[in-house]
Amino acid sequence: MALLEALSGAPGGGTEGVQVTFARPMPVSPSYFSRQPEFNDSFVLVQDLARRFGRLPTLPPGQAERVAWKTKEQYRLAIGEAVKARDYAACIGLVKRLHQIHPDLMPEEVKQGIRPFKRDINIYLNTPKLMPVDRFGRSHGVGKRKSSIARAWLVEGMGEVLINGKTLNDAFGRVHDRESALWGLKSMDRIDKYNVWALVEGGGTTGQAEALAMAIAKALVVHEPALKTPLRKAGCITRDPRTVERKKPGHVKARKMPAWVKR
Amino acid sequence: MASTNCWRCLARPSQRLLLAPASMTAASSNPTSAAFSTSTQLAARSTSGDTGMSRHIRTGKRLILGKKKRQGDKHKTPGPGERKAFRKRIQLSNDNALVVPGLAELTAQNVVDPGAVGQVVGIPVDVVDQLRTCEAFKSTQNWGLFRSPHMLIRKETVDMAQQLTDAVAKKETLRMVVTGDRGSGKSILGLQALATGFLNKWVVINIPEAQELTTAATEYSTVHNSDMFSQPVYIVKLMQAIHKANGPILSQCRVELDHMQLPISVTRNMSLAALINATKEPEFAWPVFQAFWKELLRPGRPPIMFALDGLAHIMRVSDYRSPAFELIHSHDLGLVRMFAEALGGKTPFPNGAAVLAVCSRGNAPILPSMDKALEQAAAIQAGAKAEEVPLRDAFYRKYDERVFEALRGVRVLDVRGVTKHEARSLMEYWAASGVLRLRVDEKNVSDRWTLAGGGVLAEMERVSLYDIRATV
Repeated sequence: MALLEALSGAPGGGTEGVQVTFARPMPVSPSYFSRQPEFNDSFVLVQDLARRFGRLPTLPPGQAERVAWKTKEQYRLAIGEAVKARDYAACIGLVKRLHQIHPDLMPEEVKQGIRPFKRDINIYLNTPKLMPVDRFGRSHGVGKRKSSIARAWLVEGMGEVLINGKTLNDAFGRVHDRESALWGLKSMDRIDKYNVWALVEGGGTTGQAEALAMAIAKALVVHEPALKTPLRKAGCITRDPRTVERKKPGHVKARKMPAWVKR
Repeated sequence: MASTNCWRCLARPSQRLLLAPASMTAASSNPTSAAFSTSTQLAARSTSGDTGMSRHIRTGKRLILGKKKRQGDKHKTPGPGERKAFRKRIQLSNDNALVVPGLAELTAQNVVDPGAVGQVVGIPVDVVDQLRTCEAFKSTQNWGLFRSPHMLIRKETVDMAQQLTDAVAKKETLRMVVTGDRGSGKSILGLQALATGFLNKWVVINIPEAQELTTAATEYSTVHNSDMFSQPVYIVKLMQAIHKANGPILSQCRVELDHMQLPISVTRNMSLAALINATKEPEFAWPVFQAFWKELLRPGRPPIMFALDGLAHIMRVSDYRSPAFELIHSHDLGLVRMFAEALGGKTPFPNGAAVLAVCSRGNAPILPSMDKALEQAAAIQAGAKAEEVPLRDAFYRKYDERVFEALRGVRVLDVRGVTKHEARSLMEYWAASGVLRLRVDEKNVSDRWTLAGGGVLAEMERVSLYDIRATV
């Protein structure tokens, strides 16, 4: 396409008086014959923009809108060129610097210039839906672990726990499971401040206990948002992604092979 | 294994057969019995040392190549019944535990005092002896962790003791069933009721394990001219326990009736203690016990406390069989029927009585009849109208009418977890005894209380005392 434009544009671009012996097709991009023309163009443009607008006032660090930048691999996939890591790092550094320019003064060229480096979907714009404490004072949280799903409702109270309508000792025979179910409350010293009413299904006891830990921690965060970081450190917020590995054909289990038999 | 031919006797086996029978061992002529046996000594010698006769005499001179043979385990294996005795032993004191000073003793007053709720009290020594005699202590309870037996007075204790003493004071009969979750302290509540009985000088009869009566573990025999069966050996044991635990009270009462039919001679000036101690013969046990029971039910006798642990076991068809090889219902066993009639309100107690049945949750058959009967009793107790009382399942055929009879109109005491206040004083006692190495503050107490499912006592012990992790 660029080549066709160059063909049609080349005679028009010349002055009237000049005798053109023949029209030679010229690529639009000077880096057409390099192996990574699109990246080179962008890089040159970014460098140019950085030179021109580098002195515009910037926002204090951390205040610019969070943008999900493409990683090197994502950029390579998007434009289909083998971009060198060093070049991409240099380029993305400049892009991030340009992004710091104060949004009121941000020229349109810069916006266009850094666009190819943004991911299509800005994950930082995804905000979780807020689950407020309802009019009965309950907060709700959902947690999963292995194949268990737990839903927990927390109200302020004295530390009473009902899980599927059963007391904690009926629901979990092992003391370890009881502790891990209430780990969010226990590690935050909140056991005697809330009552828990929870439903769990699926999986075994360990999975249910740890699903409950997550559900209770999330419900606790609704009551006290400041506890989110300590709860994350206590390991209650992040979903543990490990599940049962699937069985494969030719294997006895996921990895186990049948015993070797001589013929 | 010893060789077949005798090494002392130089005769070859073939020649040995030709020898005169007189020279053979005496045992061979009379193989069925021996005056004494050395087999145990020999067995002991063969296990204990290598100087046994069974090995070859020239063992020491034999060339042994290769590795030395491993000797068997040197330790002594427990004898028959020793393991069970160890498992079932009841240890009521522990010298390693610290003395907890400043605790009150259980009295007839503070067991009914609502102000004493949440106190840990010691059991008086003589009551401990009486309770031990009637087997109120169980091997599953942790008495052995502490210096001397103490117990927590909880709200249910005071409530129950109040009901017991009120009924007895009015010469009424309190028929009560203690139910509750597993490990919530039902048996301890039963023990507290027995202690109340002993402190108030009632005649206390306790059947510590109803299971022993109905699982065909003790001997039984038919009773002449009746459809009942008696369990003579158990009754002898029970009578001994009653005599030992209630001796002073029973010795103040005289026999008032003529017991002509009794195989032993009973005179009017005998005391009841003498009556119950009169026989150790299993054949006479049941008539004597019946006579004792009749005497106890006469007006002017001390009040009776009749308690049983493991109610569900006597509410089913027992494992015994009649001469026609049909299974016997538990209520056809004499002692069980006596208790069932007392619990069902059929026996009149003119001096006031407390009939207490404690359920167990860990070891109990599933009985829809009993569950339904207790459900109905609880509903009636809660003041439900006649139409609100839960109905029986119309599609269940196997309801046992005798169970409903035996549980008609009983009071139901549902035991749950303790309150945080009670849990705290219990944990303070544990800490003072040195078994709980933890600061007892509000945070720790409520942690344990919650982990124990809302103060379920056995779980509290499990969570606090059997915590293997180091605590700060």
